[in-house]
Amino acid sequence: MSARDLLPAIVALALLAALPFLGLSGSVLNFLVTTLIIALAGLGWNVLGGFGGQYSFGHAAFFGTGAYATAILQMKLGWNAWGALGAGIGFGALVGLAIGYLSFRAGLRGSYFALVTLAFAEVFRILANAADFTGGAAGLLLPLRPGLATLQFADRKLFYLLVLAFVGVALLISRWLERSRFGAHLIAVRENEEAARALGVDALAVKLRAIALSAAITGAAGGLYVQSFLYLDAGVAYGTWISVEALLAPIVGGIGTAFGPLVGALALQGLGEITKHLAGGIPGVDLVVFGACLIAVIAFAPQGLLGLRPFRRRRKARGERTVPVGA
Amino acid sequence: MTSILAPSRRAVLRTGLAATSLVAMPAILRAQGASVKLGIIQPVTGALANDGDLGKLGAELAVQDINAAGGLKALGGAKLEIVFADSRSNPETAAQETERLNGEGVAAIVGGFGSGLCATASQAASRYDLPYLIDVGVADQLTKRGLKNTFRFSPSFGMVTKSALERLVALNDAAGKPARTVVIVHEDGLFGSGLAKLLQAELPKLGFEILETVSHPSPARDMANVVLRIRSLQPDLVIPSNYYGEFVLLARTMLQQRVRPKGIYAILGGGASSLRFVKEFPQAAEGVMDCNHWPDPKNPLTAELRKRTEAAGRAFAYNVPMNYSAVRLMAEAIEKAGAPDRLKIIEALSTQSFSSGVMPYGQSKFDTGQNTSALPLNTQVQGGDVKVIAPEAFAETKANFPLKA
Repeated sequence: MSARDLLPAIVALALLAALPFLGLSGSVLNFLVTTLIIALAGLGWNVLGGFGGQYSFGHAAFFGTGAYATAILQMKLGWNAWGALGAGIGFGALVGLAIGYLSFRAGLRGSYFALVTLAFAEVFRILANAADFTGGAAGLLLPLRPGLATLQFADRKLFYLLVLAFVGVALLISRWLERSRFGAHLIAVRENEEAARALGVDALAVKLRAIALSAAITGAAGGLYVQSFLYLDAGVAYGTWISVEALLAPIVGGIGTAFGPLVGALALQGLGEITKHLAGGIPGVDLVVFGACLIAVIAFAPQGLLGLRPFRRRRKARGERTVPVGA
Repeated sequence: MTSILAPSRRAVLRTGLAATSLVAMPAILRAQGASVKLGIIQPVTGALANDGDLGKLGAELAVQDINAAGGLKALGGAKLEIVFADSRSNPETAAQETERLNGEGVAAIVGGFGSGLCATASQAASRYDLPYLIDVGVADQLTKRGLKNTFRFSPSFGMVTKSALERLVALNDAAGKPARTVVIVHEDGLFGSGLAKLLQAELPKLGFEILETVSHPSPARDMANVVLRIRSLQPDLVIPSNYYGEFVLLARTMLQQRVRPKGIYAILGGGASSLRFVKEFPQAAEGVMDCNHWPDPKNPLTAELRKRTEAAGRAFAYNVPMNYSAVRLMAEAIEKAGAPDRLKIIEALSTQSFSSGVMPYGQSKFDTGQNTSALPLNTQVQGGDVKVIAPEAFAETKANFPLKA
């Protein structure tokens, strides 16, 4: 990767890092933290779904595992929050490997893979809802103890910057995928798995590595979620909402691009906030407007916001093409 | 990206305005008729929309009454103004909306409904020392997090179940111990699982035999198998704990299949003390008992609230009187604080006692955030209406137990 490759990512991160110092209200800051956590989950999904072409409908399995591991290790075993978050990322990757091994070994692709991941997430949700150590259906309430060791900051700006740092790392990983040999293998598998194997790519190994990486990033998002809201139950951790958010962000932003998930999450969550103000007195009108906008985006920008003309022309001029065929 | 910057700018302006108005507030307050903003947060969309909608109505009725009676008298007749927030039945939105309410400069927040929603919203409010009064969110841990700003008006899960078991034993003893065997039917969420676990531990100690514990997911669309199981076990007592839809389904299926145990005794049952259920399925509802939040039937305001709820086109449920009373309590706290000052309101809430509106709590007093006077009531559907049967002080009528087969 050359310095030029990294420039857009660094500029975007610097701009985002400067945001909280503009005197934003707690409401906007909280909105940005939530959005970045969703962007991070989306960046994770994008590694497997965008670059690898394996559409998962169950990234909640990784998000929830990261979140539960982060919370439980702190609450029940008295771990340091940083260590717990690190372990949460590791557990996320392990669950990714396990699900990946089971489904890729069985040769599941396309909608079958999507359905299996959805089923895994649901199984995890039901187990977490029934088990004792997850707090059952009542969920877990992390005690409020601001401090560096507990990874809770009295100043929201610091937490925002921490989440942003994670997003930065995930962006760099995505950028690396666009440039590296591993990324090329992954894209080859996405475009035509048989052809890739004929050329000597170990498709299973490539997919397994991709799902582990993807799950680790999404697991980090889960860990950060629980550190931010200090509350977790099975519906939040393993619910379909996060699977959908993690998949919508890259699809709306631009699937298989480094920046897609970030742009998509900002656009979607931003749209959600704006429509809230249009609601007036009737509950739910904002959600209707949100849905209508979403349909419009998918109808008029099927390759995501980054696939819109001004972006596309520039990419063509540089002779790049990372958007999947037929996406 | 421009679409992202737009709302932030808007929000910055809004917050700026709110901040300036906060600074200017002492001056405004001296003026007659200035208003105090009160945040009301309820889930009016999503899975809990029905409850949120009723809670919102209760809060609105309270503010109407307070303002019609001359506003906050200790603050020179300042009017209360509702700033409403929809938590959309999900915990992140509850936190985000709390941040917005803070930005709009509310003096305090009342509401929540649902433990998860209360958990994140009250935690977000604690960053700003913003007093938060939970209407109903039963999880015991809510008031055990050391948050100084968080108060719960209604009884906790532990308080409800303790009362429910004591009264069940009293009820059974008074009738000559007709009930010995029990089947528990519960949803696998917060209410149901926690309750089932507790009942499994406690009921045998009280002389009951649990024949089986049946769990089902929410939402469930068919209760036929559950009812067949109950039929084959022939228990004296069925203890359900589930949400409105599933409870109604269970009660209707039991009626259809002619399964009539000696009693149906719900604990925090979604449908057993809802007038919507009574109105829509009177036969299935008849005789069902519930230990739940319920207003004092002997307070004349309760009947009036019920009329006003029905005039608004809704079926009466405990959310209306609960939020009506919680808002009145918060108004009293603001008056006792003498100013819409957040820290002073928290101080008042933690040290003083308050009247409890139409809820049967007498004088409400908060100990580490929990209202220690809070009390659930036992109700039974009798003659197409919900009647209070216990405790004695609030009872309107005698319990019909055991039910005739």
